[in-house]
Amino acid sequence: MANIFPRWVNIVPLKVIIGVLLTVTSIIAGITYYFTPKYSRVGYAPTQPVAFDHSLHVNQLGLDCLYCHQDVDKAAHSNVPSTNTCMNCHSIVKTDSPKLAPIRNSYASGEPVEWVQIHKTPGYVYFNHAVHVNRGISCVHCHGRVDEMEVVSHAESHSMAFCLECHREPERFIRPVDEVTNLAWTAGSEAEQLEQGKELVEKWNVNPPLSCSGCHR
Amino acid sequence: MSKKIFSHPKPAEGQLVGPRYWKSLEERAETPEFKEWLEREFPDGASEIEGVDRRNFLKLMSASFGLAGLGMAGCRKPRRHILPYSKQPEYTPVGIPAYYSSSFEMAGESTPLIVETYGSRPVKIEGNPSFLPYGGATGSHAQASILEMYDPERLTTSTVNGGSATRAGVIDSFKATSQAMSSVGGSGYALITRQNASPTKRRLVSKLKEQCPNLAVLEYEAADRTTSERALSKYVGKPVKPIYKLSKAKRVLSFANDFVSGEPGSLSLTRGFADGRRVDTPEEAKKMNRLYVAEPDFTLTGGMADHRLRIGQSQIPALAALIAAKVFELAHFGSELVGVLRSKGSALKVNPEWIDICAQDLFDNRGSSIVLAGACLPEEVHVLTAAMNAVLQAEGKLVSYVESQAPLSTHGLDGIVSGLNDGSIKHLIVLEGNPVYDTPAGTGFAEAVKSAETITALSYYSSETTELATTCIAETHYLEAWGDGRANDGTVVPVQPMIEQLFDTFTALELLAALAGETDLNGYNQVQSTIDGISSGDKAKAFKLFLAEGILKGSEYPKAKLSISADKLIPTARAILDAPVLTGESLEAVFTPSAQMFDGRFANNGWLHECPDSMTKLTWDNAISISPRLAKELEERDGIQILPGSGLMQSWGKFRTNVDNAKFKRGKQEAPVAELTVDGRTIKAPVYVLPGLSNYSVILPLGYGRRVVGPVGQGTGFDFYSVQPSQASVVTEVQIKMTEDVYILANTQEHWSMEGRAILREATTEYFKKTPDFATQMGIESHSPPVYGAAKNESIEFKATKIPRGGSLYKTPEFTYPQQWGMTIDLNVCTGCNACVIACQSENNIPIVGKDQVLRGREMHWVRLDRYFAGDVDTDPHIHHSASADHGSSMDGWHDGVPEDVQVSFMGISCQHCELAPCEQVCPVNATVHDDQGLNVMAYNRCVGTRYCANNCPYKVRRFNFFDWNKRMVGEFYKGPLGKQNLDQPNGELIKMRANPNVTVRMRGVMEKCTYCVQRIQEAKIRQKSRARNSADIKVRDGAIRVACQSVCPVGGVEFGDIADPTTRVSQAKRSKRDYSLLGYLNARPRTTYLAKLRNPNPDMPGAYAKPYSLKDYKNRYGHADHGGDHAGHGKHDDPGHDHKHDHDHHPAH
Repeated sequence: MANIFPRWVNIVPLKVIIGVLLTVTSIIAGITYYFTPKYSRVGYAPTQPVAFDHSLHVNQLGLDCLYCHQDVDKAAHSNVPSTNTCMNCHSIVKTDSPKLAPIRNSYASGEPVEWVQIHKTPGYVYFNHAVHVNRGISCVHCHGRVDEMEVVSHAESHSMAFCLECHREPERFIRPVDEVTNLAWTAGSEAEQLEQGKELVEKWNVNPPLSCSGCHR
Repeated sequence: MSKKIFSHPKPAEGQLVGPRYWKSLEERAETPEFKEWLEREFPDGASEIEGVDRRNFLKLMSASFGLAGLGMAGCRKPRRHILPYSKQPEYTPVGIPAYYSSSFEMAGESTPLIVETYGSRPVKIEGNPSFLPYGGATGSHAQASILEMYDPERLTTSTVNGGSATRAGVIDSFKATSQAMSSVGGSGYALITRQNASPTKRRLVSKLKEQCPNLAVLEYEAADRTTSERALSKYVGKPVKPIYKLSKAKRVLSFANDFVSGEPGSLSLTRGFADGRRVDTPEEAKKMNRLYVAEPDFTLTGGMADHRLRIGQSQIPALAALIAAKVFELAHFGSELVGVLRSKGSALKVNPEWIDICAQDLFDNRGSSIVLAGACLPEEVHVLTAAMNAVLQAEGKLVSYVESQAPLSTHGLDGIVSGLNDGSIKHLIVLEGNPVYDTPAGTGFAEAVKSAETITALSYYSSETTELATTCIAETHYLEAWGDGRANDGTVVPVQPMIEQLFDTFTALELLAALAGETDLNGYNQVQSTIDGISSGDKAKAFKLFLAEGILKGSEYPKAKLSISADKLIPTARAILDAPVLTGESLEAVFTPSAQMFDGRFANNGWLHECPDSMTKLTWDNAISISPRLAKELEERDGIQILPGSGLMQSWGKFRTNVDNAKFKRGKQEAPVAELTVDGRTIKAPVYVLPGLSNYSVILPLGYGRRVVGPVGQGTGFDFYSVQPSQASVVTEVQIKMTEDVYILANTQEHWSMEGRAILREATTEYFKKTPDFATQMGIESHSPPVYGAAKNESIEFKATKIPRGGSLYKTPEFTYPQQWGMTIDLNVCTGCNACVIACQSENNIPIVGKDQVLRGREMHWVRLDRYFAGDVDTDPHIHHSASADHGSSMDGWHDGVPEDVQVSFMGISCQHCELAPCEQVCPVNATVHDDQGLNVMAYNRCVGTRYCANNCPYKVRRFNFFDWNKRMVGEFYKGPLGKQNLDQPNGELIKMRANPNVTVRMRGVMEKCTYCVQRIQEAKIRQKSRARNSADIKVRDGAIRVACQSVCPVGGVEFGDIADPTTRVSQAKRSKRDYSLLGYLNARPRTTYLAKLRNPNPDMPGAYAKPYSLKDYKNRYGHADHGGDHAGHGKHDDPGHDHKHDHDHHPAH
């Protein structure tokens, strides 16, 4: 009986299997990477209505984070400053800078400045700033070196795994409460941080929630 | 090795014959339908999609997936903005709630409130603890009032003379009216308001009356609760009202006075009453108060009663006369008076022993006994009770009299009607209320009003009155407005706006100011000038303090003295009407404001509509409540089956019906419709058989059947105003006739049923003294207690954190957090008022589902209030004999199987937060798990909706989102994505504003349940940790967390806190002898435990019971009520509980 199928057919199943595997793997890998906050969020640096330069205000002028974000140690939300906070200085400094026109307009009209939101927790996450900054978790852990940013960008992924990294091992990150807004502070080496961190966790009875109810209500 | 399957011990056949504990007549009758109910997890139909089979479903779904694909364009996250203030006010951090004092007025009485606001958005109402008589409690109506503010159906625009009007236009028209009115001295004008205690409104109305001496003023309240005030005012010649303090009362007799939920000052009355029932040790048991109630309806007060006499409302005056006669006789107070009273009561057929023993008990405890008369009773009864209280030396201690404010009415309702009819009233101004609807049909107001030339109505919703109005003004919600009011004792309280007016609306206060010719219509200024007139000292400071504290200190009504003389009482006694004879052919109808709708003003409030009535468990409807006795008589007369299930009738009576014709199919109660004829007017309405009613009284709850109302209230219930002949709340010579029609009632009583186990445990004080641990000696756990192994005798704290399992091989979850949360619910003080149900709904964003879905058993309440009737049908003739006032035909009727006298008990049930939770074992996706503080938490995002957890929950507390209740409009659920969304309707955005921002709004397909208000726990912990900063002090103080049901509870029945700390209040409560776990033998170890109920019957009373019916039920079913544990410990078989004869020893009549 003659061969119905040519010889090359013999390796078709293998090719198909390999092809399917490759496709599936790349789809999974693609989704894993491109759909995570790491890809979709980190690096997001939208253009703001006023090109506020954090590095200038913090590093050169020495403003503390709390000067503008004054609710961060009181409330769940850390506030974006209201226009009158800007005008505390800018009614005297750079009063006619064209870059500050939206601020002056807002102050005169009462309409808010439309800042573009960069960091966003999903609706089902109840994150609280106050309890973190009051218990020795610095801004820098979630927001990066904002003090060095000319344009603010999303520095960390803010995925659940990211949160749990710290909640599982707070000693790796915790620092004296006074140094929370000093974004440049370090305890020194990793070993020194661990040693000091363990002591603080012990002394302050730090007990970060690891169960669902900590963040989801 | 085969797996051991646990099953509940089955009672022997013979034990089933005895009296039992049942939730409904269906359960009592054991209809096949009820049995099917028990066997199913969700009611039949609850877990099925109507009219859609799987194939069609898949077709539909594939289509909608296809559509979804078209919308995939917006994958990149949307650009969002942050809008900070331009000029931020001080102290306004975003997300931190601000609390303001305010008050909620209903029927002339204000409840002081503290309102929680987020970003000027009122979200949750709490009571104001600065007002001591209420101690921070609120009722369900105050809780639900916040919903109406965010109701898209509220009126938002005003019309003047048919054309739409701006704010200025409305004010101009009122100023013009004001001028026109004062130019004629008010002739031809009539002003209708509700009963107002508000000092500012009273000031303005008084000013208006001065300017217009001929103006007819009527303060109309459909549910008038000022009878007592009116009666005493006539008696002493000045406005006097009684203020009761029940906390020190040892004996209370109530004549149809529903002080638990309906009467003026009920929050303080019920609070005080509960204080007298807080008994923790057997030694304290003798201090517990005793409540006698005589009433036609089965009210919540009747549910608390130790002795309850069922009697027609029209017969109560005669009963009061007889009891007063006995009390006066004992006190040697006016022999002639006693004679007159006796003659007045002579026609009443009631067991004289009941009267004598009750009066004797009151008299023996004089100085700490008190008599209360319901507002529904005639004025003479109120004078008589005041005299009894004087004779019983209650004055000063348990009751004080205050000089209140005289009503401002110049006319009665009949005066206004005749004025309208004869043309002397041409212009009607209705600033409050809905008189076209809530006036009795017999008064003819609704017809007379049509002859008015102009009708001006201020209304929050469109109503029967605004329909006829020529000028219709949209009203401001009280949470957006300035105002004031007075609490029951006269304390002045503010009404403060929480938010700027959402629409261009007006308050009655502003319009009154305009009518009174004030130039300044601003509510704030008006209130301030009133307060300045009352307060003393630094006026500005006093006003600030008034707003900050929410009460004006020292503004109570001044004390008054009431002197009662026997001679002066004789004319009052003579005015008492003789008791009519009530029969099945000549009934009495009792018109009573319904627990949910009150007089009809809450008709568009979905929370109240869906909150099951405490007694009937009906939602979305009212019905004619009749007694089982009357039902049986009607069945025999009209040949229509009313009583459920053939079983009941076949085993207990002669009547036979078709077995298949059950009245409770698929969770829908098929209620037979009756034709009720009252004084020539007829209404057709469904009949609901409620055990415990007076035999020949039919109860007609008012406030339903609104014709003109928003979509929520559309088609709900029946309007009994339409047959009410006059403002009197009771009418005799009423006839009822059954029809062939059937009406479907959404009754939640059969849902989530737990079959006859020792669920609700109660005992008498006597029994408690002898058997202090009765609560743990009942139920299967007395044989099979939770398995603690060697740790059996460890402390609650140890058990809560270590979860010992007696050497079980399974891994034990250890709860590591230093604080462990737990709750106790004291059944002894729970009155069943439903406030917790609504408070929970408000706090936790719980949606309503509508009547159609309630019929399928899909209601979403996290707290449900189980009502259990306990009754003894066949075995104890004395109870029926003695406690029924309708001797006549029922004398020989008690034994033919109709449950007449029942006891009722309530049990609030929400998630019990089991330490070894059965729901967690079966969740395939770990969506419900324990956290380290011992909470059973739901991760909504993980939930895939298998509903296994609900299936495995022994308490039936889990609720499933069968539809997007929050997103879709009620009635649009089945249309899926094509259905109308809540937000799409006009002003739909309002709905968004209502939600509590701290609680997730759940979506379709997820399970939910009580979280122990985890948001409040976390807030408190965060607050404490933020405060601790670099210290180790992270423990939340006891009392810092008050969960929603706890903070609303008027009787302090709920304790919540840390059970790992033995000093907290909840730990103390859990150490009480009365503490028990619901279904404890399952070893689920619920964190919520219950404190067993006690009753305190008078041993001398005929029909006194050594044990409450429920305990007797249990005993009769299982042979012995107390067993298990250490049998050798105490001589069980000498206990009164075992001595059946003992029960009978208590009946002198035997």
